[in-house]
Amino acid sequence: MKSTILRSGVVLACALGLAACGGGGDLYLQGPVYNVTEAGLVLQNNGGSDLAVGIRAATGQYDYFQFPNAISTDDNFNITVKSVPANIEKCVVNNPSGHANYYTTQQISVQCTLKTHALNVQVKGLTSDGLVIVNGTDKQTVAANQTSVTMTRVNQDAPYGVTVLTQPKTQTCTVSGGANGNGTGTVGADDVTSVVVTCS
Amino acid sequence: MKFSLLRPALAIGAALTLASCGGGGGKQTYPINVEVYNVQYPGLVLSTNGQDLTINGTSDLNTPIKATFPQEIEYGVEYDVLPKGQTETNLAGGSLPQHQSCSSGSSGFPRRNTAGLLQKIDVVVVCSVNAYPVGGTIKGLTGTGLVLINGSSGSSYVASPVIDATTKLPTDIKWALTQPGGLVAAPVTYNTTYGVTVLTQPSGQNCTVTGGNSPANNGSGTMDADAEKAGGVSNIVVTCTNK
Repeated sequence: MKSTILRSGVVLACALGLAACGGGGDLYLQGPVYNVTEAGLVLQNNGGSDLAVGIRAATGQYDYFQFPNAISTDDNFNITVKSVPANIEKCVVNNPSGHANYYTTQQISVQCTLKTHALNVQVKGLTSDGLVIVNGTDKQTVAANQTSVTMTRVNQDAPYGVTVLTQPKTQTCTVSGGANGNGTGTVGADDVTSVVVTCS
Repeated sequence: MKFSLLRPALAIGAALTLASCGGGGGKQTYPINVEVYNVQYPGLVLSTNGQDLTINGTSDLNTPIKATFPQEIEYGVEYDVLPKGQTETNLAGGSLPQHQSCSSGSSGFPRRNTAGLLQKIDVVVVCSVNAYPVGGTIKGLTGTGLVLINGSSGSSYVASPVIDATTKLPTDIKWALTQPGGLVAAPVTYNTTYGVTVLTQPSGQNCTVTGGNSPANNGSGTMDADAEKAGGVSNIVVTCTNK
């Protein structure tokens, strides 16, 4: 109750155009955001005005949030997720609520989980052992006569690019297909099944 | 029980700055414990107070290797747990695990402190596998929009043409993978693979990828010991020609 009165006083001071208008305190609700790759994450404090999480200049990524108004010691806070980007399954706020102090306002984080999809590669004409294909750091060995490879699942809206790391012993394989025709593309809302490795 | 009573008494003594603090029947001694996370390769030797502690085995980021230096140290003695060979003024090199770097100490359990100030000495050491840049040269780029990626790893490179003012010809561009946002380098971890492909072709051109350290000579490879020794992979050539 005391802080409510205090805050009203500050609002009044702001309305009167006084110099010390700063939002009522010196504690900022802020913390790291994990796994967000595009715009659309909106947070709220105490059901109040929306905070759209944007790109942080220092990293070029959506990896940090900070509510613009400072709050005072002992103010109640309760951070909730109002909406998430289209490629996010869900976001959970860790240590979302409490009485504000230097400790509690440093313990908040937002952990999001991206939607993922299968990346299944078709293999044609492989009669020799030794083929290894990669999608970046994801490496899969392909045996002779194998007709498909299940790669590690990929995040929605992320790119993929399948390429040959090691050719089979007695054949040469090339990669085609995918959204761009050369084994690359961007993952949409469905599994990716169009990448083809052709060996001869 | 005896110790837990004795220790607060020592702490009070210290707070009152009594001259005879810790005296009498011999000083209390403290074991120097360490918890080492994410050791994946051999070679780590920790050192403090003239003692060495070789860390054997492997651990992950959840369950550490717990070990204790051979000799306990007395109340009031300063300790500073570092990889052997490192000093406070040179926190690099030393007896680290192969292909890894380690940092010791956390806010709650500093690597450097005085025995007795905390209830016990328990230094946390966290290791990570080294990573190195991947990149090379882009040749012949005149169109806009070229995007190179390393699979779905999240790293990429977005290239713009650089045209020489005198010759009006495209200049070779040095490139290396960066994290999303393009501001931070995105190195490839030791013993993992990479495979650079063209996600988006530049306007009016086609680009092909060669080089890397796999026999496929197509911009793929593995960050192996040779690549590590070379400080990364810098021979991936992207050649762009007009359609």
